[in-house]
Amino acid sequence: MITRVTSTTMMNSASRNMQSAAAELSRLQEKASTQKNISRPSDDPAGTAAALQVRADQKLNAQYTKNVQDGNEWLTTVDSTLSSVTALLQRANVLTVQGANDGALTPAAKETIAMELESIRDSLLAASNTQYAGRSVFAGTSDAGHAFTSPDYAYAGVKGSSVERRIGEGQTIRLDGDGAAIFGEGADSVFAALDAIAADLRAGVNIGPRITTVATHLTTVSSQQAVIGSRQATVLSAGETLLDAKVSLESRRVSIEDVDLAEIILDLKMQETAYQASLAVTARALQPTLMDFLS
Amino acid sequence: MSTFSGINAAQSALQAARAGIDVAGQNMNNLTTEGYTRQRVTLASVAPTGRIGMLASPTFSAGQGVAVTGIARLANEMLDQKVRSTAASAGFSYVRASALSGLEKSLNEPSTTGISAQLTDFWSSWQTLSNSPNSDAAAAVVIEEGTALAAQIKQGYTAVSSQWDSLRGNASLQTDELNAAAAQVAELNGMIRSALASGTPTNAMLDQRSMLTSSIATLARGTVTQNTDGTVDVLLGGNMLVSGTTANPVTLAGPRSIDGSGAGTNPDGTAGATAVQLEWASRPGAAIALDGGELGGAVSMLAPGGALASAANSYNAMATALTKKVNEGLAKGQTASGATDFFRLPTSGAAALGLTIIPTKASEIASRAIGGGALDGSIADKISLIGKQTDSPDALWSSTVTSIGATTKTELKLSVLADLAATSASTNQLANSSVDLDEENVNLLMSQQAYNAAARVLTTMDEMLDTLINRTGLVGR
Repeated sequence: MITRVTSTTMMNSASRNMQSAAAELSRLQEKASTQKNISRPSDDPAGTAAALQVRADQKLNAQYTKNVQDGNEWLTTVDSTLSSVTALLQRANVLTVQGANDGALTPAAKETIAMELESIRDSLLAASNTQYAGRSVFAGTSDAGHAFTSPDYAYAGVKGSSVERRIGEGQTIRLDGDGAAIFGEGADSVFAALDAIAADLRAGVNIGPRITTVATHLTTVSSQQAVIGSRQATVLSAGETLLDAKVSLESRRVSIEDVDLAEIILDLKMQETAYQASLAVTARALQPTLMDFLS
Repeated sequence: MSTFSGINAAQSALQAARAGIDVAGQNMNNLTTEGYTRQRVTLASVAPTGRIGMLASPTFSAGQGVAVTGIARLANEMLDQKVRSTAASAGFSYVRASALSGLEKSLNEPSTTGISAQLTDFWSSWQTLSNSPNSDAAAAVVIEEGTALAAQIKQGYTAVSSQWDSLRGNASLQTDELNAAAAQVAELNGMIRSALASGTPTNAMLDQRSMLTSSIATLARGTVTQNTDGTVDVLLGGNMLVSGTTANPVTLAGPRSIDGSGAGTNPDGTAGATAVQLEWASRPGAAIALDGGELGGAVSMLAPGGALASAANSYNAMATALTKKVNEGLAKGQTASGATDFFRLPTSGAAALGLTIIPTKASEIASRAIGGGALDGSIADKISLIGKQTDSPDALWSSTVTSIGATTKTELKLSVLADLAATSASTNQLANSSVDLDEENVNLLMSQQAYNAAARVLTTMDEMLDTLINRTGLVGR
């Protein structure tokens, strides 16, 4: 069938073609200026679901990264405190060994040792109450503000509780040092032990048997420090994993959501040409009628 | 054959040529008139008078000229029919596609400010609270993010509901339009019938009626049947919308709001329809089955199971799921007062509209496990993980967005296809009925030449008579 072509149909089809070329041009312009492949869900429903997922994962990643930083600070505080605790206990060990030399020491010398031991005890007590961001790092989830107080050296923390940070979807890490395990509690605590040594020295009792007590505490602290160190290593490696994930998540988001600049500009240029062509063709086609040639 | 019959014949040719020029002029005058169908003079040659009796001369006679038998309207009922049926489909898809586009825009996804992003922020804030459970600042962030989330859910629901309202209002206007068009068709039917009876031209009225029936088709897929007396009947869902000179009005009945309220009662006292539907004014309660047209599209979108209602239900489901998940999680924790709920659903009305947050400070949020220390935040940590569960509000939202996106994509495609069909039908119709300048110019020239030729014939006749009357019998004078 040969369709009858009239001025009206030509005019209509010309305006329709220009309209569709202009619509396509505007669509490409929107894409190019927003740089977004998906600006509404119907552009790519499956891609939209993936984009929502990636964005959520990115936010989670950012939160875990914050947690890792916070956790690292905590663990650094615990670790450096335990280092100084070790140094103090080593000094206490030396003093205890010195003080055990009954025959060589005058009571005045013993008093000096006792006093130094007491000052070490005070320093240890202060170390056990170290705080990070307002929280006692050895008191677990307690809000007492301290882990141990003299003179009974009772543990103020909540036993069996731990402070944890989520550093991955299924991964948490413990941040606090277990105060009860590191320093001991009440009469069994390192503080009470030092008090007892000082008292023995003053009373003239031989402190030889107490040397092992101090050494045991020293071993406990060292092994706890090793635990803290390994946790810190875990946190740092989790931080690196998160950083890697951040990069790969961002590249996934870009590949889902963002346009290929070169491609879109090429498309835009082509469409611009197409639009101009349709304008030019329309201008030529609509001009002449038989009227132009009748005199 | 009479002496003057030739003059009469030439005169009829002059008239015919003039009619041709008039019609060509009329066509050109209406080049851009919407709905105008081109016209043609129909001519017929007039046969010679019969020869009666034995004395009739045996000579041949050429005939008595030309007669204008009418002015034909070059419409094609089949093409018109095609235009009406494709326009009905295009109208149906157009309304659905534009409503769905509006709906998907109101989702505001994917974006950095949509509900999805807000949900993630909300879960993240629980992590922060878990890190410092006694911090009022961290608690304030959780409460703020929760409030913002509730506000966004409410806003989304309101957007859908107001879209429903405006679509309902629009459908109501279209119903009025449909009734007005039906009444005009009925009136034109009467005018055309009497014009045909009295022999007056009907072409202009037919053009008008054709435009009206097209708009009825676009509105509600009214089908047209032609009657022998020149009138048309318009059927809607199998029943008469226009029957001869009578139009049967329709009304849009059903709820006035997306939650199904405001349906009112029928005049007979029965409860109004539970879904928005088109009814005959004379038979309230019985829905007219609409399978096309803009009204059909609107009614399908307004239906209780339609896209808008489902979207509104999704917002409600989100609010409910959020409340259930968070409150259930927090029930394992403890606060000083013993109250652990975070979200509160409204006791009546849409859940999405009345979602509120109960706690105002850190001590009122049950982030601490029963038996845990004062600074325990393990419950808050568990809450922060809700977003990762398979039946989380996040998953619900993501599937809502995806399904609306997919539906919209399909509907947009359908709309493009329906548009193509409608455009092609309308192009075919225009190709048949629209005025072409070149053609009319040619017709004009032909009529002009015919006029000139007839005038020439007349002159020849005149000269002949002059010879006969003035010059005959003068030989040798």
